Amino acid sequence: MGSNMAECHPVAFRWPLKAKTEHGAVLMHVDPRFTRTSALCDIHAPIRAGTDIVFLGAIINHVIHSERWNTDPFFREYVVNYTNAATLIAADFKDTEDLDGLYSGLSPDGKAYSNATWAYQREKPPAPAAQEAKTFTDLLLQRIPGRPKTDPTLRNPRTVFRILERHYSRYTPETVEKICGCPKEKFLQVAESLLNNSGSDRTSNITYAVGWTQHTVGVQIIRTAAILQSLLGNIGRPGGGVLALRGHATIQGSTDIATLYHSLPGYLNMPDARKAHESLKDFILTEAVPLSTSFWGNYPKYAVSYFKAQFGDAATRENDYGYDYHPKITGDHSHMPMFIDMAAGKIKGLLLMGQNPAVGGQNARLQRKALAKLDWMVVRDFFETETAAFWRNSPEIRSGELKASGIKTEVFFLPAAVVAEMEGTFTNTQRLIQAHDKAVDPPGDARSDAWFSFLLGKRLKELYKDSTHDRDWAIRNLLWNYEPDAAEAAEWRIKDEPSAYKLLKEINGYTWEDRKPLPSFANLKEDGSTACGAWIYTGVIPEEGKNRAKSRKGDDWMSPNWGFAWPANRHIMYNRASADPSGKPWSEKKKLVYWDPAADSGTKDPAGKPVPGKWVAPSGEGIDFQPTKAPGFRGKDNGLGFDWLSGNDAFIMRSDGKAWLFAPAGLVDGPLPAHYEPYESPVKNLLYRQQSNPVAKVWKVEGNPYHKVADPSYPIVISTYRLTEHHLTGAMSRWLPWLAELMPELFCEISPELAAERKIMNGEYVTIRTARGEVEARALVTRRMQPFLIDGKTVHEIGLPWHWGWQGTAQGDVVNNLTPLVGDPNVSIHEGKAFTCDLRAGKKGGRA
Amino acid sequence: MNPEVHIPGWEWYYVAMYFFIAGISAGAYFIGTLAELFGGERHREISRTGFYIAFPLILLTPPLLIADLGRPERFWHLLFYAKSGIPYMNFQSPLSVGSWALLLFGAMAFLSFLDNLVSEGKLQSAPFAKAYSRIPRKWYAVVGSIAGFFVAGYTGVILNVTARPFWVATDPLVGALFIASAASTGAAAIYLVMSWRKKLTDPGLPGFDRFDRLSKVLELVLAVALVLIAGKWAAPLLRGLNAVMFWGGAVVLGTLFPLAAGWYATRAVEGRMPPERLATVMAVLVLFGGALLRISLLQAGQVQ
Amino acid sequence: MPKGMFVDTSICTGCKACQVACKEWNALPHEPGHFRFDPVEKRPVAVNFTGDSYDNTGALGATDWRRVRFIEQFSEDRSRGRWLFSSDSCKHCNDAGCLNACPTGAIVRTGLGNVFIRQDVCIGCKYCIPSCPYGVISLSIATGTVHKCTLCNDRIHNGLGTACAKVCPTGSISFGEIAELRKAADTRLAQLKGLGYGEANIYGYKEAGGLNVFYLFLDRPQVYGQTESVVVPQRRLPVSSAVAIAGALALGGAALVSFRERGSRPEDGEEVKT
Ligand SMILES: Nc1nc2c(c(=O)[nH]1)N[C@H]1C(S)=C(S)[C@@H](COP(=O)(O)OP(=O)(O)OC[C@H]3O[C@@H](n4cnc5c(=O)[nH]c(N)nc54)[C@H](O)[C@@H]3O)O[C@H]1N2
Ligand SMILES: Nc1nc2c(c(=O)[nH]1)N[C@H]1C(S)=C(S)[C@@H](COP(=O)(O)OP(=O)(O)OC[C@H]3O[C@@H](n4cnc5c(=O)[nH]c(N)nc54)[C@H](O)[C@@H]3O)O[C@H]1N2
Ligand code: SF4
Ligand code: SF4
Ligand code: SF4
Ligand code: SF4
Ligand code: SF4
Ligand SMILES: [Mo]
Repeated sequence: MGSNMAECHPVAFRWPLKAKTEHGAVLMHVDPRFTRTSALCDIHAPIRAGTDIVFLGAIINHVIHSERWNTDPFFREYVVNYTNAATLIAADFKDTEDLDGLYSGLSPDGKAYSNATWAYQREKPPAPAAQEAKTFTDLLLQRIPGRPKTDPTLRNPRTVFRILERHYSRYTPETVEKICGCPKEKFLQVAESLLNNSGSDRTSNITYAVGWTQHTVGVQIIRTAAILQSLLGNIGRPGGGVLALRGHATIQGSTDIATLYHSLPGYLNMPDARKAHESLKDFILTEAVPLSTSFWGNYPKYAVSYFKAQFGDAATRENDYGYDYHPKITGDHSHMPMFIDMAAGKIKGLLLMGQNPAVGGQNARLQRKALAKLDWMVVRDFFETETAAFWRNSPEIRSGELKASGIKTEVFFLPAAVVAEMEGTFTNTQRLIQAHDKAVDPPGDARSDAWFSFLLGKRLKELYKDSTHDRDWAIRNLLWNYEPDAAEAAEWRIKDEPSAYKLLKEINGYTWEDRKPLPSFANLKEDGSTACGAWIYTGVIPEEGKNRAKSRKGDDWMSPNWGFAWPANRHIMYNRASADPSGKPWSEKKKLVYWDPAADSGTKDPAGKPVPGKWVAPSGEGIDFQPTKAPGFRGKDNGLGFDWLSGNDAFIMRSDGKAWLFAPAGLVDGPLPAHYEPYESPVKNLLYRQQSNPVAKVWKVEGNPYHKVADPSYPIVISTYRLTEHHLTGAMSRWLPWLAELMPELFCEISPELAAERKIMNGEYVTIRTARGEVEARALVTRRMQPFLIDGKTVHEIGLPWHWGWQGTAQGDVVNNLTPLVGDPNVSIHEGKAFTCDLRAGKKGGRA
Repeated sequence: MNPEVHIPGWEWYYVAMYFFIAGISAGAYFIGTLAELFGGERHREISRTGFYIAFPLILLTPPLLIADLGRPERFWHLLFYAKSGIPYMNFQSPLSVGSWALLLFGAMAFLSFLDNLVSEGKLQSAPFAKAYSRIPRKWYAVVGSIAGFFVAGYTGVILNVTARPFWVATDPLVGALFIASAASTGAAAIYLVMSWRKKLTDPGLPGFDRFDRLSKVLELVLAVALVLIAGKWAAPLLRGLNAVMFWGGAVVLGTLFPLAAGWYATRAVEGRMPPERLATVMAVLVLFGGALLRISLLQAGQVQ
Repeated sequence: MPKGMFVDTSICTGCKACQVACKEWNALPHEPGHFRFDPVEKRPVAVNFTGDSYDNTGALGATDWRRVRFIEQFSEDRSRGRWLFSSDSCKHCNDAGCLNACPTGAIVRTGLGNVFIRQDVCIGCKYCIPSCPYGVISLSIATGTVHKCTLCNDRIHNGLGTACAKVCPTGSISFGEIAELRKAADTRLAQLKGLGYGEANIYGYKEAGGLNVFYLFLDRPQVYGQTESVVVPQRRLPVSSAVAIAGALALGGAALVSFRERGSRPEDGEEVKT
């Protein structure tokens, strides 16, 4: 769902296809369009864009009231032990059922929630174990909260399960038909298949991509899937899970090593001027206390090792390891608000490496105009992208709206090296780190981004080396030692390329004293004796000279010796859940990690007798649990991290060791997913009075007008998406004739019904219009698109692949001229998958 | 039948014209031979005219054939295998065998042409003339005629032995039709030359006229049969310019009309036009029809 | 031992990677006519947008040796619908119309069974073009000669597989020895029949003497644009020639009766001298 896997992840799609053709797996595709993925699936269920929560919510409702789910003991055992179904929620929590689409805690201005009422009911906090707090760990130990209260019978109306049951009671097959426009029978087919293919013996997987994320409720859609999969016992088990198919190659790696503005490498939070982050201690207390009863109890070790890796010898206990000199964020610096600030003239310079916002950015007209407000911009790319060329030939220049001579932005266009011209690693969808070699030197002046950043850093350090200003401490003391060894550069023309090995070693972590790589994050210390760029990657270089990202030994199952799956080579997260609470495999067929009571644990009891029993995984899979913690072990109430977690707390990154059906924290728009219409929608929310996500990120600024709900001028739902033949903004495909000719022109997919209504002929030009802009495209009239009957009214949906721009071999209008700047409140992703528009035959400006 | 089979892209002004001219040449030649063979000395003038026509016309054809090649300079690969230089023939390929036939025909036509000159005393001075006139001309005329029939026919077989639906559907009649048309156009050419040479009182003419009529009848029958057997695939011949060329040009102007005119000329004693004049006009029309026949059948097979 | 390819259309995703790989390995140009500078728009405008599903290649030819077909079939109410993909190329027929037709010996069959056009021999007579019953070959204006898939002649004679098979992400195209490919195809067919694909069939065991590039289809070959009754043109040659000869004989007969005829008006000529 929300992914067109065959088209966008064509290589990975061979595996589902193999499962289908060789093992009889049932493939289902829930998508507004019939795509190349649908073509290869057993079932295609069409839904109107932006209604996935209704669809999934109704499956949840269907599942928990089904006979199978209520009679097969597997489900109950899994749910009671491994999820927070039994946990009691605060008495003053109010659900959307009570508040007609809102949760308790909404601020009076209606812009933000406080999650205080979403909390667990807890026992009294334990007596703190440590008397005097010498270390950050001691500090955390003093603040261990009481255990959550539970009712394993699930009868208590305040249990998560009962709240959830009530919450989803209005999500029925009939609402699916009415809101999603998907026939009831199709829906039931999907729900039943999913249910029947889950259990002790079988698992099902849900795969998504940006068809789910690019919504004002993107995170909550994924949450709904996670809830469903937890209820079906499909998490932590082979063949199960909720899989995100990531975008660009190594976009996973780039989130791990934190190109996101609000996180540090390894998913630590970014120091934030708006939070209680005055000192390292404050930072750790604020961020780690709520997580201290999970594996995040090690937060201090990860944080200190990170600062050590930044500042080396200069990072000392006395100066908080340089914490004060580290940049802090002051607000939402994600892409959309950044460009809005830029348009307001608040941003002076921009370094763009590997991005083409003049085409890929939402409300691209506004984004291009924002670029014109910069003093300078550096673009590193292989082609003169639309962004690099915006100042001389953008649509705004051509239409005379802007004049090239009036744009003061100084553009530096630098040639980038392509991937084959550099050494490095990819971390893809499945968290697998794989190294790639350099095949050739880049031509001419082209250089890798690592080279550019490294040399830029070196020059800046040179410039600041004599500065006596305190504010320049960080740049002066930044550890910047990636100078390649002579041997590394020997073969190549470019001798000053930073050492990929040294970079990865820093990310992996090493002991400060003797610079020895660390084999595991268990070795990290909070006293400054270890340095580590990103704790999750520790182990990729377990010893000097050994790079597990280069290992290439596959087998026919988990392939533990192919690359390195962070963390600790675990391919399936929370794999403790692949065994039942007593540690036995749920079934022979789905055996992965289990407790072997006879195995030698390697530990001895105080009397010196060997203690038997440990977790084993014959496939070589990294075990996601403390190796010798027995299934029946009860965690220490005043313990930290793993000590607090019990032998069946499989979800080690959650503060209660459970999968969260109900999320007491971590989300800003509610603890349970509820259906809200897309921000721009042709219909009213038929489930609640609340129309759309109340806390969605909305920017009511000039040049970013929105459409009203059920706006008669914009009655058609529009979705933007990709094609196999092109890549994103087209910079890497529209310039290449062999690819460009495959899909030579921007086209719009239209159902024959809508085409007839608007007198559109296949192959002719059409114009699509929103309040933000207009684009013209060729019409591709096809039954693969279909109108939806929403509550008795026909709603049309059209689709536009968005790969075109005005540079390159294949050219066309920029689809993002149409999109609004509006975003998900949790992660600031735009809503490019569901908005509204109007459509008519003919080219722009009424030309034929 | 597969409509996706590609169109070769043979240009009518090269290929159909090649078919046409080679057809006249071959037709004139075999008429000449047959007339003399079956009709004896009485038809000597007709045979001589046929031989005078055949050679110069066949000389015109290689340039046409070659001009349509993608790589004209390699035309000799048709006869010699490029890799070894050894003579090459592919028996399954009418084009390959036809190239040899064309060469053979050209050679025989040359001999007959020479013979004409010698026997008319135009080459008296040449030292070989005497010796030459001793070679029995019928021998090479027969060989040349067989090659001539081949040349006239293979151009049609070429079309039939492809996978283009129209040509497949008209299979196996195009070869025979082109032969019949070669006869009628060859006859027309002979008539024109004879009229130009003021030989219209020649004793061979009545037999020649009969033959001419018969060949036109055969041509007409084949043309109609061809459309009938092609069934729905004849569509390209029933629409647009091709239909005009085929029905109006090849069938009506090229066969029906001349047949009718011939009949009229013999019946109506005093027409407004002298019979010779009428016959000349008809001969021109026949040639015209012959060209349009080739063009229309070539183009009908190359309609998308 | 002849080699070839087995194209299992049931697992083709229509990604066109095979098309691109073919062009890349064989250094084929993109169709030069595809992008024309439009003076009104002041930019290159594509002329090959077909509006025919996702197929903008249209046909096989001199610069497109491989083409993925997209077959959209939906009932009016969409209760039944499917989108079929099938990657197509030269089939390297054992009885190859193109090879049979070539007058110069430019088209040869190599030791591995593939049908290969020798560029230095071809004269561009274009006879092979309509002689291929599958519409595979066409003339390149640039070289004056005809081109088609070579079965990656250079690769397979150097121990590699074909480029398109190599790159196919789902294994829809596989390269190997015919005997083994046929075994795999039969197994796959049985598997599909077991899964309820009653119409599944293999195309290319008998056609044109057996195709070295053969297909597994989920429905009748016609649905995928492949002719079900292929007649190699040259198999019709005997009849065509016979009829032409008959035509010649008929004319001979006509000549006999015409020129032999007596009773010509005596004043018209002299007596026959023999
Ligand atoms: N060939 C190719 N591959 C790519 C890329 C590329 O540009 N070209 N881009 C890469 C990148 S960066 C990314 S992020 C991924 C994206 O991979 P995908 O997310 O698979 O790509 P999209 O085509 O944007 O959208 C997927 C599908 O979501 C559907 N959809 C739209 N709205 C909804 C909805 O509300 N609900 C549901 N269920 N479905 C909806 C669309 O119809 C579309 O078929 O692909 C990566 N892979
Ligand atoms: N309407 C709409 N808009 C969308 C989306 C959508 O679905 N709908 N999808 C969104 C998504 S998921 C994404 S990921 C974005 C993508 O948006 P962008 O990231 O802006 O798009 P790309 O075309 O991938 O741009 C990457 C650029 O990096 C260059 N490049 C590639 N490798 C390197 C390298 O090693 N170094 C350097 N310096 N440059 C390199 C490429 O040539 C290209 O110009 O678009 C978003 N925009
Ligand atoms: S483009 Fe690269 S990452 Fe994407 S599917 Fe193809 S091979 Fe995989
Ligand atoms: S498919 Fe056509 S081009 Fe290929 S071998 Fe057969 S006849 Fe020749
Ligand atoms: S075009 Fe070339 S390959 Fe084709 S038949 Fe003629 S000579 Fe042979
Ligand atoms: S075998 Fe080689 S030449 Fe033929 S289609 Fe595949 S890649 Fe192209
Ligand atoms: S590469 Fe394979 S899956 Fe992709 S279109 Fe070609 S045959 Fe189909
Ligand atoms: Mo993406």
